[in-house]
Amino acid sequence: MPLTMASPGDGEFTIHKISGRDHTIRRLAEMGFVTGATITVISEVAGNLILGVKGTRVALDKTLAQRIMV
Amino acid sequence: MTKIIALAGNPNSGKTTMFNDLTGSTQHTGNWPGVTVEKKEGRLKGRRDVTVQDLPGIYSLSPYSPEELVARNYLVKERPDVIVNIVDATNIERNLYLTTQLAELGIPVVIALNMIDIVNKNGDLIDIRQLGEALGCAVVPTSALKGTGLEKAAETALSCSGKPPLSPRPIFSGDVEGALAEIGSLLSERRKERGETPLTATELRWSSIKVFERDAEQTANPDTLLGAGAAARIEEIIRALEDRYDDDSESIITNERYLFIAGVVRECVQKKNRHTLSASDKIDRVVTNRVLALPIFAGVMFLVYFLSISTIGGYMTDWVNDSLFGDIVPNAVGGLLDSLGTAEWLNALILDGIIAGVGAVLGFLPQMLVLFLCLAFLEDCGYMARIAFILDRVFKRFGLSGKSFIPILVGTGCGVPGIMASRTIESDNDRRMTVMTTTFIPCGAKLPIIALIAGALFPGSMWIAPSAYFLGIAAILITGVMLKKTRGFAGKPSPFVMELPAYHMPGAPGVLRTMLDRGLAFVKRAGTIILIAAIVIWFLSSFDFSLRMAETSDSILAAIGGAVAPIFDPLGWGDWRATVATVTGLIAKENIVGTFGVLYGFGEVAEDGAEYWPQLAAAFTPLAAYAFLAFNLLCAPCFAAIGAIRREMMSAKWTWFAVGYQCGFAYVVALIIYQMGMLASGHFGVGTVFAILCILVIVYMLFIKKPYAGADAKNTQRLAAAAAAAE
Repeated sequence: MPLTMASPGDGEFTIHKISGRDHTIRRLAEMGFVTGATITVISEVAGNLILGVKGTRVALDKTLAQRIMV
Repeated sequence: MTKIIALAGNPNSGKTTMFNDLTGSTQHTGNWPGVTVEKKEGRLKGRRDVTVQDLPGIYSLSPYSPEELVARNYLVKERPDVIVNIVDATNIERNLYLTTQLAELGIPVVIALNMIDIVNKNGDLIDIRQLGEALGCAVVPTSALKGTGLEKAAETALSCSGKPPLSPRPIFSGDVEGALAEIGSLLSERRKERGETPLTATELRWSSIKVFERDAEQTANPDTLLGAGAAARIEEIIRALEDRYDDDSESIITNERYLFIAGVVRECVQKKNRHTLSASDKIDRVVTNRVLALPIFAGVMFLVYFLSISTIGGYMTDWVNDSLFGDIVPNAVGGLLDSLGTAEWLNALILDGIIAGVGAVLGFLPQMLVLFLCLAFLEDCGYMARIAFILDRVFKRFGLSGKSFIPILVGTGCGVPGIMASRTIESDNDRRMTVMTTTFIPCGAKLPIIALIAGALFPGSMWIAPSAYFLGIAAILITGVMLKKTRGFAGKPSPFVMELPAYHMPGAPGVLRTMLDRGLAFVKRAGTIILIAAIVIWFLSSFDFSLRMAETSDSILAAIGGAVAPIFDPLGWGDWRATVATVTGLIAKENIVGTFGVLYGFGEVAEDGAEYWPQLAAAFTPLAAYAFLAFNLLCAPCFAAIGAIRREMMSAKWTWFAVGYQCGFAYVVALIIYQMGMLASGHFGVGTVFAILCILVIVYMLFIKKPYAGADAKNTQRLAAAAAAAE
């Protein structure tokens, strides 16, 4: 499912696929969002998410979260 | 010969703190050539022969952001003697990604394993020796915040600097390593053909990886220019692997780096199994909660203003304005000049020109220092990044990014650091728009103008000051919506990605340094541009065209003002004094208050010009006064801020566009306010027609469908089609 459907407190998710090939996706990859990585949803405000990935906290907006399949 | 240590690391890894600790007060800042990325270097404490070069905070060496390009070009071309890679030990996995890339450069790398104190406190264990062996670099545990381990890191770096680096071990899977080896041999054959010196093993590996990733920057590099045959063969190798992995080559490399790191971390790091949320996450659950986020944000903002404007900062500013530059300094200098018996014109220049002008600006320093202190604290503790996150939804509706809010927030103190704070916005469009709109929000120097108009024309009214902020915010949002619909700014809003540092108690030195840096920039401009401007204005307002000292009403300034004034007739304040005051506002906005004082024949006036309120009330109608206020809040900012716009835009054309837009927008807003107010009281004229036309244009711009959105979608479709065809 797209990451936008996950809620805080749902535990860990594994990234199956990240769609898109633009620079933003590259940037996401460099920040730890790669296939197989586990992520947790820390907080959610109107679709925007704060995620835990590889020990760091990263804020993403809804459009990006939609492109991450978990 | 001086040795160079380069500091590289992720944003928020503690790099700045470490740089400050290593160099002390010897650092100097500038810009990397051609980009607005800050460049900082300094001498290692106690070692005059060692330069420490700070690189921008980066996540990788890919060529996608100016920071990454700057860092990469520096490392590849300038080749420092050694790299100290600051790694945040509390999120070692993500931080080591950059390390794997740095290790490929063939420059010795020393890892400063930072924030080790927090790791220890959490009860986690990191096997330092094994980590070093796995990565092929020396590892020194440090805590930049506590100042431990830094000397050892520097010593280790210096002892490594002469030696050849350990050759990087293969970190990719057999398939990829095989492809890299093949590409490598093709590259070295090509070099042999062209009679060039063979590359070293590390250089060859770096080039091979870059070619494999189809790195634009590297393949444009003539060094790796391939013959047509080799290029086709290499493309074949890459394609084959891409098909096998069902991914593009760059992602394959990224994924494999992370796989390698995951292995290293498994070997070397023992995490105490914790499934509970960290303290920082618990704070986030509350602070970024969908219900509480905005009220908490409003509360924090109120506190900042309460401290800096209403109480502590306000009291100190009152004292500086009323006592220090009101009595103490003028009396002391006046006494001194009297005792020296200097000429009267010189006394006037020093007292009325320089001290009054520069003093008026410096009076805001205490207020601004408290504000900067609060903002530096918010930035360091991690809350500022959350503000951008919380407000992104709101701002995106108006074509701006949540990251635009930080410049605007800083801009409430002073526009110059506000405009500079826009650097963190990656998208060019968003950054330009933020630079253009930041000064719409009333800065500290505009507060006296608000106080003047409110006090003289609207006595007892509570709504003038809030309405000024409201006007500023509305101007920012309306501009955002309108410009997004022009060709120059059209396009999708850029996606929001931002790392949120863990909440922590900021260290006092770091916060104080940020505050002082920003404060100092403000004092510098008071000492230079404002000093000169104060002298020029004093001269123009004290002399007539035959260069004799004259009353202000007969001065050169009055003549110029009188010639320009009719432009502002439709705004209700075509009086030459108001025009002159507006022009002097370009030097520093609070000058407007002082200039009115001079023009109404008062030598020294209070910060809010209370002495001449009756004259002002007689000269302006309340409506005209509000139009005057609106124009001055929105029009081109002071010269210092225009200078900052020029630096951030890096283009004269964009600077002129920004200033022109600001003035035009201010004129239109003031026109609408005045003419609509007049219409309400029964006046109708040419001005009314123009005002209504302006309203119609703005409303049209606000509500039409994005005219370039279609073009954008078509572009995306075409790109997608092209990509599909290529596959």
